[in-house]
Amino acid sequence: MPREVDSIIVRIAEIMISELKLEDVTPEGFNPDMDLVDEVGIDSMDLATVALVLRDEYSVRIDEDDYPKLTNIRLIAEYLHGKMAA
Amino acid sequence: MEPATQTVSLKPNDASRQTERTYKFSDLIAPPAVRERWEKVRKYFFLRESTYDMSNRCNIRCNGCYYYEGEKQFTQERRDPAAWRSLMRSEKARGITYVVLAGAEPSLVPDLCQVCFDEMPLGAIATNGLKRIPDAINYKIHISVWGNDETSFKIRNARNMLQRQVENYKSDPRAVWVYTFTRHNIAEAPQVVRTLARNQCKVTFNIFSAPVGYAGDLSHTAKSLQSTRKVMAELLDQYPEHVLYSHYNIMAHTHTQGLHALFGCSYPRQNPSTDIGLGRSFRQYRTDLSWDRSAACCVPDTDCVDCRHYAAGSAVVTARLYRHAVDPETFQSWLDYVDTYLAVWVMEYQKGANLISKPVPPPGFDLPPS
Repeated sequence: MPREVDSIIVRIAEIMISELKLEDVTPEGFNPDMDLVDEVGIDSMDLATVALVLRDEYSVRIDEDDYPKLTNIRLIAEYLHGKMAA
Repeated sequence: MEPATQTVSLKPNDASRQTERTYKFSDLIAPPAVRERWEKVRKYFFLRESTYDMSNRCNIRCNGCYYYEGEKQFTQERRDPAAWRSLMRSEKARGITYVVLAGAEPSLVPDLCQVCFDEMPLGAIATNGLKRIPDAINYKIHISVWGNDETSFKIRNARNMLQRQVENYKSDPRAVWVYTFTRHNIAEAPQVVRTLARNQCKVTFNIFSAPVGYAGDLSHTAKSLQSTRKVMAELLDQYPEHVLYSHYNIMAHTHTQGLHALFGCSYPRQNPSTDIGLGRSFRQYRTDLSWDRSAACCVPDTDCVDCRHYAAGSAVVTARLYRHAVDPETFQSWLDYVDTYLAVWVMEYQKGANLISKPVPPPGFDLPPS
């Protein structure tokens, strides 16, 4: 599981960088434990956009009610991994 | 466009499981006109709003006024521009990028509005339009209309209101008239919109949403919502250059269910989460610059069950991107709604032609009866 989660983490970072046009950060250098709201500055509309791209890629729905729990990339990756395994 | 997958979903309005196609998001935004609109609106996802009561005074007194319901009307005014400047700076520091200056009548304190604009360049002012706000305050200006001049005199105690508003704001790119449909002024809307269109004024629509404990007769019934829906659609078709609205706006705001039931209100008053979105950042400041999370929403004394308010919908419907990305019509209806919201609230933003020309139900609900 950790390796699978790690690969999802890198992919989420790539999607975030691309969709949200984040600068000065690479997928490998994106700290997966960084708080997306407080430290990266993304908000609910950004997260919804990323969630839609992730839905396309992993065929997993991220429930709107779950957004508040998904405060960093690692938590999103674990959420996706858990849903895919279910 | 081909559906990417086929799934089974449980709809909230129907306990039976229904088969429903699911589209990929990349397919939904693939048509060039849709992609263009998506890219146009998403540039504004950075907007983070809060609202501010500017003064506890008003030059008129209207039946059903939100400001003079509840206890906030008794709050002391903070009239020191330095205090407002400091507030705006601290708001900016916590991520607020958009301000709504409202109650009771901001045009009575232009110096404070100017301070807000100097610190926060994006915003809107809600006004009755009887006193012109200086051009230097380059916010959107929402001018309230509650019917023809006879009705305005009856429920707002102001004579020749529309005429005076037009004299003050004709040809002003900041101005958007907001026609509030009550149960009794539906038939007057065509006359008012005709006058506004003749004067090259822009107009959008609001639905009277009762304050908590309101006992007056302006509240809507299912029948008056139905009549409103019909008149709005006619006006939208008749004056596409002047009416800033979409068929999805009409559906969302005249549905027999209120906004909270349809979309789940995300303002703090109904949303306990402080992690992300409006629940985290939105505040509604009173005239003494205090705020109370338990009362925080754009129209704080509205009965949430009855809320169909245009300002509430602008945030609540717009925030529900994910649930609208289910099929082309629903997603494009949402784009029309967001395009309308931005045209009403953001200076320089130009509304495009609506992508969808018929009512589409909100996700999980049926259309109201036609």
